[in-house]
Amino acid sequence: MSIHRTDWLGALVVLAALALVPAILGSTYVTGIMTVALCFAMWAASWDFMSGLTGRENFGHSLFIGAGAYTAGFLNVNFGASPWWSLAASPLVAVAFSLVIGFPTLRLRGPYFALAMLSGAAVMQSLTIIFSEYTGGQDGLNGLFPFFDSELAQYYLTLFFLAATVATLRLVANSPWGTILRAIRGDEASCQAAGINVTFYKIASLMISAAFAGLGGALYAHYQLQVGPDLFAIILSINIIIMVYVGGMGSIYGPVGGAILLILLTEALRAFSEYRLWVYTLILMLILFFLPQGLVAPLWRRLRTIVQ
Amino acid sequence: MSALLAVDGLNKRFGGLQAVKDVSFALEAGSITGMLGPNGAGKTTLFNLLTGFIAADTGKVEFDGGPLLGLAPYRIVNRGLARTFQLTRPFLGMSVLENVEVACFAPRVRHEGHARARARAMLEHVGLAPKAASLVDVLPYGDLRRLEIARALATRPKLLLLDEPFAGLGTSEIQPLADLIRELHRKEGLTILIIEHKLRELMQLAHEVIAMDFGEVVATGVPAEIVRHPRVVEAYIGKAEIGESGGALGAA
Amino acid sequence: MAEILVYGAVISAIYAMLAVGFTLIFGVARILNLAHGSFYALGAYGVYALTADAHLPLFLAAPVAVLLVALFGVAVERVLVRPLRRSTLAVLMITLAVALMVEQVLLLIFGSEARNVPSMVNATFHVMGADVSGQRLLALSGAIVILSGLWFFMQRTRLGSAILAISQDAEAAQYMGIPSDRIYSLVMGLSAGIAAAAGVLVAPFQTVIPGMGLLPLVKAFAIVVVGGLGSIVGSIVGALLLGYTETIIAFKISIEWSQIVSVAAVLITLILRPAGFFGKRAAF
Repeated sequence: MSIHRTDWLGALVVLAALALVPAILGSTYVTGIMTVALCFAMWAASWDFMSGLTGRENFGHSLFIGAGAYTAGFLNVNFGASPWWSLAASPLVAVAFSLVIGFPTLRLRGPYFALAMLSGAAVMQSLTIIFSEYTGGQDGLNGLFPFFDSELAQYYLTLFFLAATVATLRLVANSPWGTILRAIRGDEASCQAAGINVTFYKIASLMISAAFAGLGGALYAHYQLQVGPDLFAIILSINIIIMVYVGGMGSIYGPVGGAILLILLTEALRAFSEYRLWVYTLILMLILFFLPQGLVAPLWRRLRTIVQ
Repeated sequence: MSALLAVDGLNKRFGGLQAVKDVSFALEAGSITGMLGPNGAGKTTLFNLLTGFIAADTGKVEFDGGPLLGLAPYRIVNRGLARTFQLTRPFLGMSVLENVEVACFAPRVRHEGHARARARAMLEHVGLAPKAASLVDVLPYGDLRRLEIARALATRPKLLLLDEPFAGLGTSEIQPLADLIRELHRKEGLTILIIEHKLRELMQLAHEVIAMDFGEVVATGVPAEIVRHPRVVEAYIGKAEIGESGGALGAA
Repeated sequence: MAEILVYGAVISAIYAMLAVGFTLIFGVARILNLAHGSFYALGAYGVYALTADAHLPLFLAAPVAVLLVALFGVAVERVLVRPLRRSTLAVLMITLAVALMVEQVLLLIFGSEARNVPSMVNATFHVMGADVSGQRLLALSGAIVILSGLWFFMQRTRLGSAILAISQDAEAAQYMGIPSDRIYSLVMGLSAGIAAAAGVLVAPFQTVIPGMGLLPLVKAFAIVVVGGLGSIVGSIVGALLLGYTETIIAFKISIEWSQIVSVAAVLITLILRPAGFFGKRAAF
């Protein structure tokens, strides 16, 4: 799982492409879609860091996304704070959520942990609707301010944070942390026998995952300029998992590719809006049966061996 | 005359079964002790109690000058007590080297740095260096045993608990492993406690033997005495362990 | 008060059918079937299509619909789930894909408007001082009959014992010559059939829309977690608990709060007693 020089090269090429294409195309429509795609990429990468490495699939990632987004909403709409505060506050709030839900649930085995996280997100969604006086209920909070008036500038801000996210997560994944997280996937008891404080690493990785998800939530909120209970929805968590599947679990950069691909695909199929879910589902089934390692990561690995 | 490990009145009950009953013994630093007993005698349960994987009902355990009971397994390892498992549990999907590397990140030894190099050194110790890059998933049984030992050693333990290290090994693999264990004891000054059925190997290695049956310690002493001890003989012959005990008992 | 008793009973009975089917397939085959709600929806739509389009009489359409869905369940297990059995996540995702597919197909064929399924019993009854539609009472009795039938099947027939054996120890069962693969398909069919039966029974008085299976799935999840994954008794007890709690809260407080009960129950149970209250298998 080491980073080769070619990886850095590839990353730079992709970064350059992502930076130049919207500028060249000059369409606010494209830039807008790409901004959304990058937010999803942050969510997918952050999911992959924890669940992809440790193998503990988190079916409630939307909990952290919603937490980050609503934090941005509260600060901006209710307290009139500048959007830049959200960048600091949203990750922190998301991390707080991860601590609250992580402690009791991380000791649970596979499907139970997935279920517990899913329930946590669902509870949050219901609570958001019930306490509508604070949260705006089904309608949510409206009237958030963007970071910049220029769509392109907002896009670059998001791109910057995505790059920072992926770089950070990859570096951590390549450090002893990554080895330990993968060992936790292998056998927790043996990890204990190797002297590793398993609980600490599980919670810490969930916190890191939550922080970046929350950050993405804030960026998304200040792009859409509104937040709603849908950000806690189960379907959002599931969409992200599908993106990670398409990208290739455990690679961190794969999910980024998966997210961008699927968002673009969704947009391209907007004309066939009734068939969109069909296509999504079909893709999921194809990946499960024929490409269990995903699409993006294996593709890059093949490309890399050719280049080297 | 300081005991490295002092166990006093350890008890553990599972529902209706008293798995470990009033067990007391002491291990001198630098000794190799064998633990003998038929299946179900409570040996592995005792290991699990000592290493924190199960909570004891009553009793006291002193290790290296401090109490041991109630600590989480990883904490016990970081105090210097390492173990291997009867059914080896490697980190699947990772290489042999990485498997040992994980243990090099334990707080007890983390400050030494150079995890990769240290892991490689451990593999050399146990003779697995040529297979460092292989995935553990394809490793044969004997090598997995060595890997477990390498991983345990990486935490620089003072006391090493080996749970049936020779189980399932063919004759050609047993002797090299026994030699390895003896060498580790000699070179590192490790204190070792081995659970084992194979009497011949146990007799060769152990200075002292603790015999257990039905969760209790029934006899302690040097190997030559233990094999003649009436309770031990009864436990083995009574449970009709064909071939092994008859031959080994006769040979001892 | 009487209303709560009766309505609570009806809801609990339906929940019990859904939960038992769900826990059956998990307890036996370790499949967390996210398509379970789809079988329920297909049962309802099946009886609608057979009566409205194929013009079958109701008493025929009902069992035919159940049978067809049961066969569909077997097909799903055989074709889609079996190849992916080694990975629990893959199985989860494929059943999710089936659920999404089914919803899309239903939407395509029948549109998003609620469908009307005629009641099997048109009379209204007066039970313990409360007015209850005959259909609801039929649903309650139907559920009791089906669940009793299931209990009888599991306890008294050879096939039933085989299923129980597999749920306790799949490997040992295989050594005893029990063909687990075929049994998994059978159990899936059984589970699907029971869910479809629930759909058939409630179709006359529930909203029949393509997405009708989602909420029941969540409820079944919740009940099974509380009762213990793999425990049929636990599912029934859990169903009663959830059904009555929901009914009481809906009557006394509000409908919105009653919806949160199920998910909150899941969370609390997982935190306090991960194996559920009757669960055999610990969650960690």
